[in-house]
Amino acid sequence: MKTLHFKVGLFAATTLLFGAIFVLYILYARGFFEDTYRLQLAASTADGVAPGVPLVFSGIEIGRVSTLGLNDNGGIVIHAELLARNAKWLKENSTFTLDKPIVGGAKIRIDSPDLKAPALPENSTMLLLTSDVTKEIPILVERVKAILANVEHLTRKDGEVNGTLANLETMTGRMTGEYGMLEGILGSPEKARGVTDSLDKTRALITKLDSLALKMDGMAAKADTWLFAPDGVALQTRDALAQVKLMLADAQSSLKKADALMTNAVAISADVKEGTQDFAALRTEIDDAVRKANALVNEINKKWPFARDPEVKLP
Amino acid sequence: MNFLVASIESLGAKVTGWFTVGYDIFAFLFRSLLLSLDRATWNRATYDVVIKQVYFTAVQILPVFLGYALVISWLIITIILTTARDFGLTAFASEMTIRVLVLELLPFLTALFIALRSGSAINTEVALMKVNNELDALAHCKVPPMQFEFLPRLIGGVISVITLAGLAGLLALLLSYLSIYGLSMAGFDAFTQILAKVFNFKILFGLITKCALFGLAVTLIPITAGLETPKKLFMVPVSVLRGMMRVFFAIVAIEVVSLALKYI
Amino acid sequence: MAAVAALPDDVARVALDLPLRANLTALDNIALIPLYQRHFNAAESTQQAQAMLDQLGHTGIAPLRDPDMTPAQRFVTQLARALILGRSRLVIDRPGAMLYDVPYPDFIRQLAEQTQSTGTWEIYDFSWNQLLYSQAPDQE
Repeated sequence: MKTLHFKVGLFAATTLLFGAIFVLYILYARGFFEDTYRLQLAASTADGVAPGVPLVFSGIEIGRVSTLGLNDNGGIVIHAELLARNAKWLKENSTFTLDKPIVGGAKIRIDSPDLKAPALPENSTMLLLTSDVTKEIPILVERVKAILANVEHLTRKDGEVNGTLANLETMTGRMTGEYGMLEGILGSPEKARGVTDSLDKTRALITKLDSLALKMDGMAAKADTWLFAPDGVALQTRDALAQVKLMLADAQSSLKKADALMTNAVAISADVKEGTQDFAALRTEIDDAVRKANALVNEINKKWPFARDPEVKLP
Repeated sequence: MNFLVASIESLGAKVTGWFTVGYDIFAFLFRSLLLSLDRATWNRATYDVVIKQVYFTAVQILPVFLGYALVISWLIITIILTTARDFGLTAFASEMTIRVLVLELLPFLTALFIALRSGSAINTEVALMKVNNELDALAHCKVPPMQFEFLPRLIGGVISVITLAGLAGLLALLLSYLSIYGLSMAGFDAFTQILAKVFNFKILFGLITKCALFGLAVTLIPITAGLETPKKLFMVPVSVLRGMMRVFFAIVAIEVVSLALKYI
Repeated sequence: MAAVAALPDDVARVALDLPLRANLTALDNIALIPLYQRHFNAAESTQQAQAMLDQLGHTGIAPLRDPDMTPAQRFVTQLARALILGRSRLVIDRPGAMLYDVPYPDFIRQLAEQTQSTGTWEIYDFSWNQLLYSQAPDQE
């Protein structure tokens, strides 16, 4: 009887202990001992969002939508709740995207590109972007079709690409490296869109450089005359050089704008599961091209006043 | 015409029989609940019998039961994980294992285990007590059998199913963590998140209630089935048969209702 | 015989159709009554039951269960259970059916002498067994 009592007592104590630990653990997991961090998301439509939709950061659920409703202006306000311990992943530059994958439930994806950015204060309202794959696909297909047509048009014999590439080649010997790369890109149709983008950019760059070179030519002519002008040469030349620098900076900033546009385009198309990898690779290639072009402009900027590079002269 | 009347009559008799059985079960439950609220019930002797019942229903079978739960859990977890990997749904695998094993399968199997082991024993014992006039003897001595025979069995059944299902569930949780993340703390946060998602307090409360109902069903129904045995020795197997059938129906009904409440 | 079964509730009976609880020891069977009827605690109930067995001269049968007892031991336990009820009338119903291995009139008489019970003992038996009680005319 004594050992029976002992055994039952041991059993009861162990089970109670485990049960208590489990309940405490669940309380901890559900954030009973923590503050709740609240967040509002503004969206144009509540389609696909319901209470309980998870907030996912790097594939791990860190919170969920608690309620949603309309504000006074008829906009959708989504209230989300996170545990305080998970709030550290939210930064001021975090983006919130509603993901509706083909398989599985809807979720709100949080991307924090810079984890060193200042933390998002509680109760702030962020914009909820939508990336509905099912809606996106037909648009993308249309786009790809258009791009393919474009590429075909561009790459026809003595088409624009060839001409432009010839231009590039003649423009600077340093660009020959890119010539090979572009050729490589042309190999696969998926990457065609990136090619047109980079071609557009290159074209813009060329136009800039073109006009720049024309101006330079003009200025050079002027400089020649200035050289023989009675006024002091040095001052005038310096002014002219300053102008050149301004123009070059202009060219650079326009390239940056093109880069920003590019970023947006990639962000929009980045959600197609299959395409993501390819686009990411493409993105890096285009970035590479833009960076190289930038470097070129910088170099021109640096060297122009001292040595007139005949190669920069465009036909 | 006579045939029709006869079949309607037999149907009526069956329905009445079912109602009588149901009424007996609930009346018995009501009486035992009333008794368990009585202060006088809770003396040292009742505690002793309850402890004895818990020992026989839960502690004695613990190693066998946990081994069995371990094997079942391991199999189910492996199947779910492999299937999930094949279909690229690994993200849902851990939630799935918890829902299938801890919330549904293990409590159900625990109830079946106890029904087969203790429920049938209780049914036989009560039927024999009834057939052997032991209950009449107790009545003659003015000792109510409820307090030292039936109520402790009910309480022991409830405690046993709750504790055994709980222990098996914890074991399954541990096993599923080990199967998914291995022997490291790497997945602890993610696992905690999933647990928090699955176990809200409604679910936890529902799980305990379900186990308690299972525990009641596997003891209450055999007792009432035993009590309604006619005083003939050859009726004991029939009584056990009927009782176990009713236990099975009750367990399935409880499970179905709990699933319906949870997911519909 | 129907008369025995229809006896009022304040009569303690020892009968074949009132068996012991099979899975309890003799001691526990007796102790049930003080324990659940009079709400004594377990230790005290056991003590009372043991005292009753001692009085009947069968101290040793306390740990035995029903199937392990001889008919005489079983009868003693049933008698002890009836005595501990403390009712004024005790009826032994057809002892021949229970005490088939001992000369039961003497055996019962001996038990009756050992106890200090104040109530009356009555034995109901078949008329053809009356001869057996011839040495004890004081009992019916």
